[in-house]
Amino acid sequence: MTMKPATGVTVRGERAPWLTLKMREAIEAWLFISPTLAGFLIFFAGPLVAVVWYSLSEWNLLSQQATFVGLANYNDALFRNPDFWLVVRNSIVFAVGLVPLNMALALALALALSRRFRGVVFFRTVFFAPVVTSAVAWAIVWKFLLQGEAGFVNQLLAAIGIQGPNWLREPDWAMVAVIVTRVIKMVGLNMILYIAALQAIPRDYEAAARLEGASNWQIFRMIIWPLLGPTTLVIMVITTIGSFKVFDHIYLMTGGGPENGTLVLAFYIYQQGFQFFDVGYASALAMIMFVIVMGLTVVQLALRRRDT
Amino acid sequence: MSSLTLRNLKKRFGRVDVIRGVDLDVADGEFVVFVGPSGCGKSTLLRMISGLEDVTAGELRIGDRIVNEVQPARRGVAMVFQSYALYPHLNVRDNMGFGLKVRKVAPAERRQRVKEAAALLKLEALLDRFPRELSGGQRQRVAIGRAIVGHPDVFLFDEPLSNLDAELRVHMRSEIAALHKRLGNTMIYVTHDQVEAMTLADKIVVLRDGCIEQVGSPRELYERPDNVFVAQFIGSPKMNILPAASAAGFGQQPTGTAHVGIRPEHLSLVAPEKGQISGKVVISEYTGASSLLHITIDSGETCLVLVDGDAPEADVEVGLVADFGNLHYFDADGTALRKSQVSG
Repeated sequence: MTMKPATGVTVRGERAPWLTLKMREAIEAWLFISPTLAGFLIFFAGPLVAVVWYSLSEWNLLSQQATFVGLANYNDALFRNPDFWLVVRNSIVFAVGLVPLNMALALALALALSRRFRGVVFFRTVFFAPVVTSAVAWAIVWKFLLQGEAGFVNQLLAAIGIQGPNWLREPDWAMVAVIVTRVIKMVGLNMILYIAALQAIPRDYEAAARLEGASNWQIFRMIIWPLLGPTTLVIMVITTIGSFKVFDHIYLMTGGGPENGTLVLAFYIYQQGFQFFDVGYASALAMIMFVIVMGLTVVQLALRRRDT
Repeated sequence: MSSLTLRNLKKRFGRVDVIRGVDLDVADGEFVVFVGPSGCGKSTLLRMISGLEDVTAGELRIGDRIVNEVQPARRGVAMVFQSYALYPHLNVRDNMGFGLKVRKVAPAERRQRVKEAAALLKLEALLDRFPRELSGGQRQRVAIGRAIVGHPDVFLFDEPLSNLDAELRVHMRSEIAALHKRLGNTMIYVTHDQVEAMTLADKIVVLRDGCIEQVGSPRELYERPDNVFVAQFIGSPKMNILPAASAAGFGQQPTGTAHVGIRPEHLSLVAPEKGQISGKVVISEYTGASSLLHITIDSGETCLVLVDGDAPEADVEVGLVADFGNLHYFDADGTALRKSQVSG
C-alpha cells in the first residue's frame, strides 16, 4: 500500500533503486532485438566470416584438411582457370538479358493492372502466381514444354509454319530459354512493386497534366516515369542481384549445359563446392561474386544519385 | 475570356446520380463560387466543366462552343487543385512551364510567360526551388501561376485554400480576389467554407445532393434565402429556425408559415419581462469582440444569439427581441414565404 501524500507536498515517484529510466529502456530494447541479433550472428555473420576464411584455404571437403594458402584460390580463378571467365560472361549475358526484359514487362503489366476494373484482381493473381509456384515444378513443366519437336512450344510454332529450335539443347537458345522462363516466373514480384508505386502517385498529377494538354505518352515520360525512379532503382538492384544468384532454375532446366552455355556463377560455385568438393576455391568464387554484385549495386546507386 | 452555360447537366457514377440536372449561366468575367456540404457534387461539377469527368446528359457550353465531347486541354480552362498537384520532380519554373512545353510553345516565349506569371505572383525568387522546398502558401501561388501561364478563358479552383492554416487562408483569399480583379477572367471556385464564398463571389451557387438550391449574390443569399437549407448554410453562426408557434411573440406571420428564421446577430437581449420571448442562457461562448450565447427559450428550443461586448453568464434569465425586418418565414416544405404576404 502506498501512502497518499499531503496536498502540496512533492514526492519522488517510484523507481528501481539502481536503474535510471534510460538504462531500463536500453535493456528492454536489447532484449527485444536479441532473438533477431542471435539469428543474424549465427546464420549470417558467422558463415560470412567462415567463407572469407575458407576462401584463403585449400580445403577438400572429403579430406577434412584445411591448409592456409593466402590468395591462391583467387589467383586460380582470375588468372588460371579459363572456365571462370566463361562463367562470368554467361552470368553477365543472363543478367543483361533478364533484367531489362523483366523490368519492361513488369512495368507494362503494372501500368495495365494498376487501375481498378472488373477482373483486375484475377489478372494480378495470374501474373503473380508463378512467383509462389515451386521452382522445381516450374522448371520441370517448362522442360517438357520446350522439348525438341515434341514440345508444346515447338508444336505451336509449327502450327504457324515456324520450325522452332531444340531450345534446351542448343547453347545460344538454351540461354534465351532460361532467361525467358525465369522472367515469366519472377515478373509478378516486380509487377506488384510497380503497381504499389503507381498507386502511390496522386491522380491529380495526371489530371493536371492532361488539362495542360499532355498526351498519354507525355504523361508517362514526363511525370510517371520520373516519379517511379526510386522504385525502378530498387527493382533494378534486387533483380540484378537475383540474376547473379540464380541457381535452382539453371540446375533444374539445363544443368549448366549445353556445352557450358548456361553455366552461371552461382551454379559454378555449387559445382566446385558440392560436386568437386573444393570448398576453398568455391568460397573464393563466392567472394568474387559478392564483390561483383556489390560493385554493380554501388554503380546503380551512384548513377541514380547523379540523375536526381 | 468566356461565359459558361450549363443546361440540365447530369452525372451518374454507376447507379448513383451525383449531379441531377443543373442549369446555370455564368457571365464573362464573373467570379462564381460553388458551395455546399461534403458530397453535394460541387467538385464533380467542376471536374465536368474541366473535362476530367465526362457528362452523362445535358449540355455544357464554354463561350459559344458546346464542349461535352471536347478534350480537357482544348476547352480553354485551367484548374488549381486542392492538393496543388505540383510535380515534385520539377522545379517551380518547370512546373509553371510544363503545359507550354507539352504544347510545344517556343522556349523563348515559354520563358517570357513564366517570367510574367512569376512577377504577377511574386514568385521570381522561387523559380529554381522544388515544391518540397516551398511553404503551403508558396505552393498555392505556384499552382495558380501554372494556371495563369496557359492564358485560359476560365479558371477553375477546387477548394484551393483548404490545406492552408487559418491566417494564410485569409491572406490567399485576398490574393485570389486581387488576381481576379487584375485578370478579369471567368473564375469558378469550389469551397465548403461559406465565409470564403461570401467574400470572393460575385455569385454563389448553393448545391445540395447534386441539385442547385439557390443562385444569387452573397447579399441576396444572406438576406433572402429561398429555403431553410440555404438560410442555415449561409451565414455564421447559422440562422435559428424556430417552429411558428414558438416564434409567435416576434409578431404576425404570413399565412402558411411553419417555421420562422432569425439570424443570431438579429436578436437582441433585454430584461426578461421586456422580451418578445424569454429564456435562459445555457452556454456563453466568449470570442473576444463578441459572445455567442446558447439560450433555451421557454418553448424548449435552443436559440443562438450574437452579442457585442459584455454578455450574461450561464443560467441568467433573459428576454429576446427580434429585428422584424430580418425575420424569415418558411412553409412546411422549408420554402421561403416572402414578407409581402405579411399583412401588418
